[in-house]
Amino acid sequence: VNIELQVIGSALRAVAEEMGAALVRSAFSANIKERRDCSSALFAPDGRMIAQAEHIPVHLGAMPDAVAAVMAHDPGPNDVFILNDPFTGGTHLPDITLVSRTPLGFAVTRAHHADVGGREPGSLPADSTTLEEEGVVIPPTRLDENALERLVGQMRNPEERRGDLRAQLAAHSLAERRIAELCARRGSELVLAAMDELYAYSERRVRAAIAALPDGRYEAGDFLEAVEGELELRARVTIAGEEISVDFAGTAPQHAGNLNCPLAVTRSAAYFVVRCLTDPDAPASGGAFAPVTVSAPEGSLVNARPPAAVAAGNVETSCRIADVLFAAFGQAIAVPAQGQGTMNNLTVGNERFTYYETIGGGQGACPDADGPSGVHVTMSNTLSTPVEALELAYPLRVRRHALRLGSGGEGAHRGGDGVVRELEALEPCRFSVVSERRARAPQGARGGGPALPGRNLLNGEELPAKVTGDLEPGDRLTIETPGGGGYGEPG
Amino acid sequence: VPEVDAEAVAVCLLFSFRDAAHEAAVADELRRRHPGVHVVASHEVAPEFREYERASTTAVDAYLGPVLSRYLGALAKRCAGAGLVEPLVMRSSGGVASLAEAAAHPAWVLVSGPAAGAVGAAKVARAAGHDNAISLDMGGTSTDVCLIAGGEVARTGERSVGGLPVRLPTVDLHTVGAGGGSLVWRDSGGALRVGPESAGAEPGPACYGKGGTRATVTDANLVLGRLPERLAGGLVLDRAAAERALQSFDPAEVVELVNAEMLAALRVISVERGHDPRDFALVAFGGAGPLHACGLAEELEIGTVLVPAAAGVLSAVGLVASEERRDRVESYVRPLAEVGELPAEGEADLRYAGQSFELAIPLGGNLEERFHRAHEERYGYADRGRPVELVAVRTAETRPGPELVLPPANPLEVEGPEVVELEGATCWIPPGWVGVRDGTDSTLRLTKS
Repeated sequence: VNIELQVIGSALRAVAEEMGAALVRSAFSANIKERRDCSSALFAPDGRMIAQAEHIPVHLGAMPDAVAAVMAHDPGPNDVFILNDPFTGGTHLPDITLVSRTPLGFAVTRAHHADVGGREPGSLPADSTTLEEEGVVIPPTRLDENALERLVGQMRNPEERRGDLRAQLAAHSLAERRIAELCARRGSELVLAAMDELYAYSERRVRAAIAALPDGRYEAGDFLEAVEGELELRARVTIAGEEISVDFAGTAPQHAGNLNCPLAVTRSAAYFVVRCLTDPDAPASGGAFAPVTVSAPEGSLVNARPPAAVAAGNVETSCRIADVLFAAFGQAIAVPAQGQGTMNNLTVGNERFTYYETIGGGQGACPDADGPSGVHVTMSNTLSTPVEALELAYPLRVRRHALRLGSGGEGAHRGGDGVVRELEALEPCRFSVVSERRARAPQGARGGGPALPGRNLLNGEELPAKVTGDLEPGDRLTIETPGGGGYGEPG
Repeated sequence: VPEVDAEAVAVCLLFSFRDAAHEAAVADELRRRHPGVHVVASHEVAPEFREYERASTTAVDAYLGPVLSRYLGALAKRCAGAGLVEPLVMRSSGGVASLAEAAAHPAWVLVSGPAAGAVGAAKVARAAGHDNAISLDMGGTSTDVCLIAGGEVARTGERSVGGLPVRLPTVDLHTVGAGGGSLVWRDSGGALRVGPESAGAEPGPACYGKGGTRATVTDANLVLGRLPERLAGGLVLDRAAAERALQSFDPAEVVELVNAEMLAALRVISVERGHDPRDFALVAFGGAGPLHACGLAEELEIGTVLVPAAAGVLSAVGLVASEERRDRVESYVRPLAEVGELPAEGEADLRYAGQSFELAIPLGGNLEERFHRAHEERYGYADRGRPVELVAVRTAETRPGPELVLPPANPLEVEGPEVVELEGATCWIPPGWVGVRDGTDSTLRLTKS
């Protein structure tokens, strides 16, 4: 490998990281600034992903679709495009993606905004049946001051939305500056060659790692807890030489609720699992995923078509896809026991404020270690909002935030424990909880015991897994998150 | 208060940065019940906003307390026995404190060694007429870089130590796992890699002849003719062993790659924080810093490289010459407009109401306007309509350290390519660079010819 290309490649990766840092540090909503629910990436002029700052796994494979959608609009040098339409480059509506041209290729940022309008504060209704109910649908649109004002005007807390979008824009102007500097110093030709090399390099590394896996065909299935009943997810993984293909034939059709996924989200979950099991340190360029093909029946839960509601697909179904794929790979190689398998999405708000968080739980035990407690597992990789930050900013009080001791599964290695988080409302507001693994517990592996499933309670009364409702001052909402499964027979 | 069976206890209650009464009561009760237990309350060590960072800092502090106080106690005793004065202890902030203060709060001294190096570099730079400089401390396993502006080392309020956030004033060092002993290898994608694994002191680089067979950065420098046959300490280098170890690697590529890692670190502390490296001198020290400095300076278009004669022991120079320093922080988390008078000197952590990260702005003058400007510089936009919030005020009480005069070294004028041997370090002057030591001080000044 040419050393100069390698050096430029690291510079490109540093730019993607710096974009992410600038976005987090200048953002306004807790979800971006405290929990870092955002990602940033650089793309080559031909639309291939070159470097992604890895913040959120579920954003991994979904960004190339956004760039492709914007390229179809022939963007000019100073154009910034905005989009969130899950069926043209987006994932779910709160994830707003910006795509801009840099002097060489494209820069992309994606951030989960606390509200994008729609029926419920927080834009993650528990029971939506169409996309329109979930918020403003933004097809790829040139973002100028007018468009920005028009869009934030349709969302709650336009001030905060504007601030967060400016933070995203700041990351884009940074990318433009840095790529210009890099091209001036090294020459565009060489930077372009470095992009190609970075892509090819990741691909070589991942191919080498896949080659080391046992060839074969492995199948697994699991269930989602929809309001109307259980929905089955099935996957078949084929490892052949240096390539992996994943097919979701047999998965339930898209449903009337919002657990549906656009294919981009399904792909992200599959890429994430492959990345965990092959070469997690290979640079996150598109090349790392080139040896992986993902297919799913059109109109199924994991390849939904408009106008399906998708709010929970990105956050919940994606976790189950990861579980199913780990289970399939588990027949070929040792994999960890199941983690909490949900993000425990909690949204609280009214016309004055919206607060969104996901809550950590138990991670599954590994063949050689206990599972950590109180962490985000698989597709989310966010931090917890500090209690002091939450209480200073919102009319909420955190009554409890503790480990849910004993909720992890038994085993030679124990699963991690879940979390108990209890919020008290200080003014009237709406809430939505979108959670999974309330009925079916995360399972152990190789003889390890299952974890406790989660529970949602309002003033001590049990609530369903997916629920939207009202809170009066003094009402307490308690979320008990699932633990992780144990690994191996308890000794 | 629950019963405890522990050597140390950390106490952190929510919002104790605002009102410490409850937290203090818990700590007092623990001390009353367990007089032999080391108890630390979060408001005593880091009275700052955000319970996670505060609790983590307190836990680190409590955990290390018994160990460090035993060690420093023994050290003080031995010093007294040897007729020496009680030693001062360097803190992460780059200032020294009394032994008792250091033993009480170990979280304050976590990176005292590297901090001393940065302080030493600032002294050397200032003596050479450069108030703006970047320190480059390259040792065997890692490299620390730090920005020095206006003669002062840059400081920050938080650092991650062993993966745990420690929210205390610390010299703003950026560290990369690349040093002279870093091992060279090729990964599964065919790329050349350097570090973070290191050959350490044993066996050390292959050329040390202590049984090391894997190639290191030092081996590459030797094969490239940038090291003498015998190091200042007397170690004779085995060139044949270095060549054997480097069989499948190009030594020039090894150096280019390790330089790239250090360049990335230098960019983080300069370009990414809004400083143009061309306005700074580079102070190179540590065993390997002066070997790589000119190459790095060239990439960043830095005009002057300063290499102190004491390059191998500059941290010790920093220790001797340090000021005494006591940092204080007061938390506000209130609109700036509602805050009354503030101290004249120190720093204010400011942000737009609603943000979570602060920018540190020196106190004095129109704080609000300077914050808007700093935000614009750092993030590309300012929002003058948005209220500004004061999160914390940091002040420091300092007492200058002893005046340091280093004996002048012999005059010297060399043109690259040339190897200059120093006390505990080696300096490589590449073609196109000249090195001058004018005999009035001990610093070698390198510039492009």
